Formats: sequence, structure tokens, C-alpha cells
Amino acid sequence: MKHVNRMQSKLDTPLQQPGAASAELRVAPPPRKRQSPARAYISGIWNARYFWVHLALSDLRYRWRRSFFGALWSIMQPVGMTLLLAVVFGRLFNTNITEYAPFILSGMIFWEFITSTATGGSLAFVQADAYIKQCHHPLAIYTLRTALSNLLVLTMASLGLVVWVLIIMPQHFGWHWLAALLIYPIVALVAWPLSTMLAYVATRFRDIPHALALAFQTLWLISPIYFEPSMFRNGGLHVLVDYNPVYHMLEIVRAPLLRGQWPTPTNFAYCAGVIVVMTLLTWLIGRTAEKRVIFYL
Amino acid sequence: MNANHIYLDKVNLHYASVAFKERSLKSLLGGLLKRDKPAAAVQDVHALKNISVEIRAGERVGLLGHNGAGKSTFLKMVAGLYPISGGTRVVEGTVRSLFDLSLGFEPDATGRENVLYRGLLLGLSPKFMRAIEDEVVEFAGLGEFIDYPIRTYSAGMQVRLAFAISTAVGGDVLLLDEVIGAGDANFMAKAKERITKLIEQSEILVLASHDFGALRSLCERGLVFDHGKLIFDGPVVEAIDHYKAVNGITS
Repeated sequence: MKHVNRMQSKLDTPLQQPGAASAELRVAPPPRKRQSPARAYISGIWNARYFWVHLALSDLRYRWRRSFFGALWSIMQPVGMTLLLAVVFGRLFNTNITEYAPFILSGMIFWEFITSTATGGSLAFVQADAYIKQCHHPLAIYTLRTALSNLLVLTMASLGLVVWVLIIMPQHFGWHWLAALLIYPIVALVAWPLSTMLAYVATRFRDIPHALALAFQTLWLISPIYFEPSMFRNGGLHVLVDYNPVYHMLEIVRAPLLRGQWPTPTNFAYCAGVIVVMTLLTWLIGRTAEKRVIFYL
Repeated sequence: MNANHIYLDKVNLHYASVAFKERSLKSLLGGLLKRDKPAAAVQDVHALKNISVEIRAGERVGLLGHNGAGKSTFLKMVAGLYPISGGTRVVEGTVRSLFDLSLGFEPDATGRENVLYRGLLLGLSPKFMRAIEDEVVEFAGLGEFIDYPIRTYSAGMQVRLAFAISTAVGGDVLLLDEVIGAGDANFMAKAKERITKLIEQSEILVLASHDFGALRSLCERGLVFDHGKLIFDGPVVEAIDHYKAVNGITS
């Protein structure tokens, strides 16, 4: 108690001479070349590029370590699952298996990318806490790591789809396949902000990953991922197709590969809309959440 | 003019109490329903109170204070890890901080690979890392174990490797939390030499320590913290005396 009192009295008096002297000498901080926060943030991500590329690649190495087929599993697993589903669904819905199977496969690998990036990314900050507590990097690099490694898996998996379509429906091959390549930047630009936003929230509320699983199952059920759009339309549920961003994103791949057509401007408009909305939401949340994440780790 | 400096004006820092109060949505929603209940006893921790300090190029500053006084928080705030809740914080120059060294190893990768990974974490390029790799490996002195996975290492070996990597590159502003003791006596001597070299290269050193000897030999200026407040700023010898007086340490 005595010490505390003594300390209090010390506090009432101004700081000792050297401190006071330096207060007089204190110069205002030199005017800095002001960089807008958004640009500083993006250049921070760019400066750390070696680090997040390394993290993404090491995630992949970890995934494939000590397995005989390694990276090939990323192709074989969805193809095998598709064969199984195509046989069952083909019977159930009386559709042509050879054409229905690539439809399922395209939906499956795309959906797998979105869900694994969102659920995996939502825990990205928690997973990277050792780095976050030690080094000051923009937090979005940790969700970028998840998005990037999943994007590479998606690229592997889509090779299976391309080969399959080339064998079964070679007549669809043409220039419009170039449009299908746009799916990579599009899904990356949707999934990265989405997972960043979720990660901001999930670091504080650890319920998020569980809730996400439910949300994605619901979204899966009401979107034309495994079920053809015609099924929704015939059931009077065309709303779930025409206004569903998931449908429009998938069309970027499905129109060229499965039907030999260019995707429509509407498809691209929906994709752009989703990207803009996701990015804005993430920016809004991140403005306050970014700095506070470290307290929740 | 050399622009490397640290400028802090009336800096306040709070640890958000929600971080340990509301862990789940359930407790948040539960709290909303029970509005009439008095506010929870847990308050935001006011870890730094109105800190105004300016540190210029060439200064060697020691931080003193009891456990929980705010030394580490101060260092982490300067490093930009913790957000400030009020005031101005300007830090110019590349900051190199040595806080918790053994964080961020990949257990399945070899020691040599981890040297590269840690370098990338610090924002260095792979090219630069390849250039200094041999020197780091040499300093760690782990012999052929450098090509074994990290998970086969003993705790001491991990610390040695971590120390070798983290101290391979200096910065303009060097932040040290305690002088790091690593490995056996032989390594300690090497480590001390290396830290000294790193300190010499740096423009600004801020060192938090309870070791008065180290503070006297390394620093000229001392800051004394007490319960989040800066209570003394002056020559390190006087700072040590002040710290002893405030905390009732005789001798």
C-alpha cells in the first residue's frame, strides 16, 4: 500500500528533467508520403507474396505427403464420386448418364472449392496465430493462402473434367473454352473476400464454422449444383436458377464445356456483382475488425 | 537527415475485454436478452496509459517495470501488432522484433527448409535467403541434423535454430523482449556476441529486461513503467534507481 501511495505522488509530478527537456525539443512527426490505407494494405499483401505463396504450397505438400497417388487424388476423388452419383441419379431422374456426369463433376469441384475455402478460410487466422502474434502482415494473406491452395486443387480437379468432356463430347471444343478459364479468377475473387470476412467474424465467434456447414448444405440444396436447372424450372422454382449467383458462376464453365456456347453477359454481370458485394462487405467489416483480431487469438 | 525514429504521443492501449468475455454467439445473444442486468465486472484492460515518448536514431532504450507493467505490450505496440485506442503512433524504419522465437516452425520440414520459411515470414526474398542460408546453418551449429525434420529436434536445438534465423538480419529499429538465453554455455557466448552485433547495426534499440547489468551495459536511456503508466524517462542508471525505489527493492 505504501508503495502505491509513493508511486501515485510521483505520478502527480511531471516527468523527470530529461523527459521534460525532450518535450520541448519534440518535433512534430515529419509529414509522410500519405498512402491511402487501401493501397498500403494491398502493397503489404504484395510485399509478403513469398510468404503466402510458400504457405499455400506447404499446405499442398502437407495434403499430399506420404500418399502414393499424391496430387492425383485431387483428380481421382471427384471423378470417382461423380461416377457413383451419375449412376444413381441417372437412374433416378432418367437422364443420359454420359452427359449428366460432367454436369455433376463441374458442380462438384466448383462447390468443393467454395466450401473448403470458406470453411477452411474462416479458421485461417486462428490457425496462423503464431505468425500473427509475431509479424505484422495484412491478415488477408492468411485467407489468401487458403484460397490459393484450394485454387490449385481446383485446377488439378478441372483437368479431370476437361479430359472427360474432350472424350465424351469433343464436338463442344472451340474458342469459347477460353471463356471457361475466367472461372479461376472469378471464384478466387469471390472466395477470398468471403473467407476473409468469415475469418474476421469466426475469430471472435468460434461457432461460425459449424453454422457455415449448415448454411452451405442449404445453399447446395437450393442451387443447380448436382440437379439440373431444368429440374428446378419444371418444379416452378425458376427463381432459384435465374437469380442464383451460384448458377451464373457455374455457367461460365458449363456453357462452353457442356453445351459448346459462350457464357451470357448476364452470367458475367452476376459474377461481377457478387465480387463487388463480397469485397465491399469485407472491407466494411475489416475496417474495424482487422486490428482487433489479435486480441481474440 | 536520418528519418528513423519512434514518435508516440498520448498513446493509450486497451485490451478488449470481449475477447475473454464473449466467446460465442450464445453468450452475446444471452447478454442482449438480459439487458437489465448490471454490466459484467470484467472491464477492458487499460494496458498503456497516456504514453508520450520520442526515440530518435542512435538511441538505446531500456524498459523497466514489474511483471504486467506494460513493457511487452509497449514493444508489441511499437511493432504494430497491437492497435492503439488513442493518441498518435509513428514508427519510421524497418522494425525487427525478437519476441517469441520458437513460434512458426513446420515440424515436418527440415531445419534447412525452416530457415527459408522463417526468412519469408520476416518478409525476405527467397534469393536473399539462399545467400545467407549457409551462414545461418553454420551459426546454428546443428551439424547433420540441419537436414532432419524439426520434430526430431530437442527443445534446445529448436531454440538455437530459431535464434540463428531471427538474428541473421537486422533492422533499423530493433525490439527485444528480454535478452534471449538459448542453448548451452558455449552457444550462449556466441549468441551474446551476435546480439551485440545486431544491436550495433540497428539505429534504435528498445530492450525490455529485468537484468540490470544488461540494461546498464546496452542502454543509455531508461523508461520505467508501472501499471501501464510511464513514470520515469531519463538516463538508465537513474531509471534503475527509480525502479528500485518504486518497487521497494533495496540493494
